[in-house]
Amino acid sequence: MSARYGMVIDLDRCTGCGSCMVACAAENNVPALPQATARTGLTPMLVRRLSNGLEGNLGREAFIPILCMHCEHETPCVHVCPQQAVEVDAATGIVMQMPQRCLGCRYCMTACPYHARYFNWWDPSWPAGMEKSLNPGVASRMRGVVEKCNLCHARFHAAKEKAAAAGRREIDAADYIPACVEACPTRAIRFGNLADPNDPVAQEAHSANAFRLLARIGTEPKVYYKSDEAWVRSMAEPGEQSGSPVRSADNSRNQSEVQHV
Amino acid sequence: MKFSRRDLLVWGAGAAAGLVVTPVPWKLLDDTSKWSQNWPWIPQPARGPVQVKQSACTLCPNGCGVKVRMASGWPVGVAGVASHPVTRGALCPLAFGAHQLNWHPDRLRTVRHHGSPASWDDARAAFAKACGEGRVVVIDGYPGRAASAVLEAFAERRGEYRVVRGAETRALTPYEKWSGVPAESFGYDLENASTILSFGAPVLDGWGAPGRFTRLWAERAAGQVDPLMRIIQIESLLSRSAGRAYQWISIRSGSEGILAAGIARVLLQEKLVKTGGPIPEVTLDEAALLTGLDATAIRELARTIVVRGPVIAIANDNNPSVAALNVVLGAVGTRGGVVRRSKTTKVYASADAAIASARAVILDSSVPWNFVPQTDAEVFRFAAWNGSPTKTDWFLPAPGFLEERTDVPTAPTSGVETYALAASLAKAAHKTQSCAEFLVSVDPSLSSAEKIIHTRCAELFHAKRGNLHSREETAVAKIASAQKLEEQLWSGAVWLGEPASGESIRCALKQWPAADAGSPSDWTASWAAPVMPPLASKLYQESGLRESQRRNA
Repeated sequence: MSARYGMVIDLDRCTGCGSCMVACAAENNVPALPQATARTGLTPMLVRRLSNGLEGNLGREAFIPILCMHCEHETPCVHVCPQQAVEVDAATGIVMQMPQRCLGCRYCMTACPYHARYFNWWDPSWPAGMEKSLNPGVASRMRGVVEKCNLCHARFHAAKEKAAAAGRREIDAADYIPACVEACPTRAIRFGNLADPNDPVAQEAHSANAFRLLARIGTEPKVYYKSDEAWVRSMAEPGEQSGSPVRSADNSRNQSEVQHV
Repeated sequence: MKFSRRDLLVWGAGAAAGLVVTPVPWKLLDDTSKWSQNWPWIPQPARGPVQVKQSACTLCPNGCGVKVRMASGWPVGVAGVASHPVTRGALCPLAFGAHQLNWHPDRLRTVRHHGSPASWDDARAAFAKACGEGRVVVIDGYPGRAASAVLEAFAERRGEYRVVRGAETRALTPYEKWSGVPAESFGYDLENASTILSFGAPVLDGWGAPGRFTRLWAERAAGQVDPLMRIIQIESLLSRSAGRAYQWISIRSGSEGILAAGIARVLLQEKLVKTGGPIPEVTLDEAALLTGLDATAIRELARTIVVRGPVIAIANDNNPSVAALNVVLGAVGTRGGVVRRSKTTKVYASADAAIASARAVILDSSVPWNFVPQTDAEVFRFAAWNGSPTKTDWFLPAPGFLEERTDVPTAPTSGVETYALAASLAKAAHKTQSCAEFLVSVDPSLSSAEKIIHTRCAELFHAKRGNLHSREETAVAKIASAQKLEEQLWSGAVWLGEPASGESIRCALKQWPAADAGSPSDWTASWAAPVMPPLASKLYQESGLRESQRRNA
């Protein structure tokens, strides 16, 4: 039976510490290039600040980790890719980005409503000797390709190899945990198989206060968010004028509704 | 056969039509994209067998349990140890990129004397000469380690030993003054507290051991309308802790002590607490004026906090008024308050930036960069990474992350004693030496840190108390030998003592402390950014997190 891996991120538990961002970048051999800026850097996982916009003691804020939403339906990036460099893996539901096929046309970046894709502007490089600290499970990518979250696919492969070595067809759920999920100190990010009704994460995804970003456009993201605070939930579906929270934050890095951390 | 103009046109049209349907250009394009990703100058990770080892993090004194993924003998990934009894699998963001720190461009790779390269022998000769000519002041930023015992033993013979305390320990120094119990032996019993009154302490932003408080908050407070643990954050800015707290009280910057006095005044005047104490001189109206709050709001706050006890007040730094509020609340030496976790800790003399009448000052690599000794003495400074330019004559390269075999004593805010050992998992690419090793090389009659660790493990074994946590929990009394205990500690297990008994601590608080009694030393006023892993620097910069951290600092 094919799985549908996804996440539920409890925004009430997120403190905006950034552990998920660092763990993700370390796992996926993202280089720390001095020339990269907020607009040109690679951040497959990016934590942003949400604010209720009120002043003084009434002010509240929350943090929202943004990553590839792994859209299940009419996946926008898949449709526009001229190179078949993006596909939805039938066995896992993971939206896979294959840098070897990517031409760097960046249609997918334009098509992604969540702005969760990043263009690799420079050759990856590290300070002398630091390449010894790279994760051997993930190859570094050349400049000129688009990158995004692959739900730590190298970890999925390792779990499959482990299962195969033990003579099993199905992986053990404990063997496949993405780096951001493992790193979260408050366990705000939970990962599981949304197709399994007995999976606690699948159950949580259908709880009353769970929501998805821009659900109205029908892409069926497999990343769910959760918050008991109504003002946080309201950020997921902004009015037509302001556009999506993700888009507005990307277009103007200093606007007030959703700010970078 | 004659090739006519018509044939040329037909051929041309056919070629054009064929080019559209042929896969050749697309294939070439595809291949080009693949070839262009395999240039030899693109670094690729080394292949090799992958192993996972456990250790204790030495980036700061919190000693979190780390799981280090090793490939070809090098650390390639860091994660938390889920079975760690204190941190429970959590780490700070810096730890996830810490395995790259050893190759940081700011890594100190050679001995430097007044900016010029020098040798270890030169440094040793200069230090030995200074020792022969006068008093030596040894400064340590992480007391309690075996290496610290070496530093202390050297200082006993040649001069004096001073400790630079972190903000979390400095916040506990008023209790030391009032009770005579060393600040290093106090901790917070957060697990049993119901209301936490944080006076600017970044409780959800790097305060204490990362997993201990954040996990507790996530389980007992996050997102709950009526949480089991209420955090009331008193701070001038909407920090990350303030944003996620149960209640944020915005006051004027620097008026935390005044507010604590105002709350204490209400508590004592309205007899909301059983314990007595000196009534602060500041009136409620004065407190309101200075903090920017209404007198009614201060009164309401005092009434609210006592409804759900135990209550504990946490200061960001040395703030005697906040400590005195804990005394008034009866939160010193009680369950859910400030507890004494150890009876064996010594009282250390705090380091002052102004150092008079010394021939040499030697600073351990644990001393923060913003501690700049004001002295005419010759300064020897150990550091793994180069910090901002400071008054230093000799820079001596110390071991980096996971490069040193060391022990990890109890974290500053912990309510229970712990002990762990950090094995050396990474090889240093150049010659490094810790301050303790350097001192032993100058005075070979000193015991090495390794020998002291060995003795400490034997003492732990013979005391037969506490438990050892690795994958399973084992009582020390059930471990076969001291050697086995030490082996397990080197392989990543952590020893956990018994929880603090809630022994009553008598604090002689005769009068309310003056508002400026606890202002931190001058050297703490200038905040310097720590050396961060390149990855964390990049991400913090790109997300604005660094700016946010600076604002909170």
